[in-house]
Amino acid sequence: MNDRVTLRTSPSKIDVVNAAWVLHFPRFGEEGTHYHTYGQLTPYFKGLTEGHLLATRCTNPRCPIGKGKGELWLPPRADCPDCHQPMVWEEVRDPHGYIYAYTYVERGGTGLEIECPYYQIDVKMEGVGTIVKSYLLDRRPIRIGDKVRARFRTGENATHTCLDLCFELM
Amino acid sequence: MIEFAPGNLRVPKWTRPVFMVAAGTTDYRKRYPEKKLEELCMMAFRMLLEENDLKLDPLEVKGLINFASYGEFADHFQDQLLCEAKVHDYLGLDLLPNVGIKTGGATGGSALLVGANTIASGMSDCTLVLGWERMDEVKTWTGNYYISSAACKDFETRLARNYASYYAPMARRFQEMYHVDERVRAAIAVKNRGYACHSPFAQQPGRHTIEEVLKGDIVSDPLRFLECCAMSVGSASALLCSEELAFKLTDHPVRFYIASGSHTLRAGDRRPMRIPLLPHETEEGYRWLYEEMKKQDGRWPGFESFGATRFAAYMVYRMAGIHVPIEDLDLVETHDAFTISDLQTYGDVGLTLYGREQDYVTSGECYLKNPHSGRPGKCPANLSGGLLGTMHAVGATGIFQCGEVLWQLQNKYDKFHGDPAMWTRFGKKKPADWESLQVRNPRRGLAISHAGVGSHVTCAVLEKV
Repeated sequence: MNDRVTLRTSPSKIDVVNAAWVLHFPRFGEEGTHYHTYGQLTPYFKGLTEGHLLATRCTNPRCPIGKGKGELWLPPRADCPDCHQPMVWEEVRDPHGYIYAYTYVERGGTGLEIECPYYQIDVKMEGVGTIVKSYLLDRRPIRIGDKVRARFRTGENATHTCLDLCFELM
Repeated sequence: MIEFAPGNLRVPKWTRPVFMVAAGTTDYRKRYPEKKLEELCMMAFRMLLEENDLKLDPLEVKGLINFASYGEFADHFQDQLLCEAKVHDYLGLDLLPNVGIKTGGATGGSALLVGANTIASGMSDCTLVLGWERMDEVKTWTGNYYISSAACKDFETRLARNYASYYAPMARRFQEMYHVDERVRAAIAVKNRGYACHSPFAQQPGRHTIEEVLKGDIVSDPLRFLECCAMSVGSASALLCSEELAFKLTDHPVRFYIASGSHTLRAGDRRPMRIPLLPHETEEGYRWLYEEMKKQDGRWPGFESFGATRFAAYMVYRMAGIHVPIEDLDLVETHDAFTISDLQTYGDVGLTLYGREQDYVTSGECYLKNPHSGRPGKCPANLSGGLLGTMHAVGATGIFQCGEVLWQLQNKYDKFHGDPAMWTRFGKKKPADWESLQVRNPRRGLAISHAGVGSHVTCAVLEKV
């Protein structure tokens, strides 16, 4: 087995409809495909394929929680849950953090695209209010607190899904 | 940070009391090809009508029903939309109204919540609550994929497609934060699967040892196979009534209270907040915990606790007049889909303080007989065998749990679990070493119905009157 985790998947097809990516998710062949839109989160998924990690922030001064400088949301969301105003996009530069929680997945459900076994990790990043779930490329033993940096599946390697973000040990 | 406005913390005030008088269940199996889904529902319905010592004939009781609240977790599993209509028709309840309720693993609890509100509001005097799940139409690992559709499809489902892998990081974090010995988790699996040995309804009874649990195959580190519940098929039912009707039907009705809470689908999106305090807790009492959290970059509820469970307990204790849970409650059914969720819940419902969950389990107070003192445990947990030992036919689970608490409060554990004919009915033989798990004169019990990684939770208090 490789010491690096690989994927067993091919890039998902996408349609670009206005500014949105619509992911093809075949269930029963071509006719049975689900067309799942990323809606206003499209910049996030597009960003991953270009090697950028984009988050959102509430900048509404009247927001009762953020008060004009809310924490970053990752996964992003288009609208602030506290004041309901649109949030703004912001790139997380040099994205890195530490492992807040993890599990070693020995076996996954039908259709899992990540080659088992692998670490599913929850990453705490400075300045980000939420904790991001992802997977680790390394297979060697880890501990809570280990530092990790983001890696991306870009260009032809991109899956156009959340799998385009992963992490490696620093 | 989540901050409540005072209006958000209004305690539910029902316009009239709600009672539970009867319950029914099938046995539970990984595969149940002998019966169609609606036939299983009929079994649970008939037990409710015919075997609860009601003072009216079964068909007279049926003639009192005004409404049905049905619980089904996933259309994926049944591969049938509007299953409620098929079941309702099959039970002969047309043209009475019914609704189908879906809140993941808390579906059974939510079906009870809706059913209770039909009584409390006066819409109905007698409501059937019935739930089911048929998880045997697909292979286990496809079932796991279906269940993981209850993780966020954009950001999380593709990261495991197996629900244990969403609980395992919480187990890991909880273990680290509170220095938990994994033998404690294993002891929970041993206890609940052991209690299941006394239940004719149980799918996975087993006399295991802690060593055996820990040596088992890993599903998702650190959770082992014996720490996870299984795919399950079956149905459970309960009958809710107004006070007047309850006493007409039985001399032993049980008062029923239920409240709910909810939280994010993604555990990582839970923002830190102050702990909503139960009646017996103080801010001062948690000063040390907030300090400890600072050291470990922790947060409440974080990955360690369930905010939805705490919210539901906060409300239902105030509805039911529970002041000190460990003193006021005589038994509890937790949602032990995984050993870790059982362990985490003891803090959420205040049977112990947050951060002391491990000590609570090792104290032995969650056993019928405290293994250290030999005396009765203060609040035995999952005498039904729980989800680990007996069942998790998801839409039925919360209803089954309340049925087991009802029978305990009515002093009927032996009637439903000890009669050799009950074992024969399900093709089993009553074990020679069968023991009664009846709690001695219980007054109040708690049942927790729980979804996702804590997305929806109901807490029900049942009280003998």
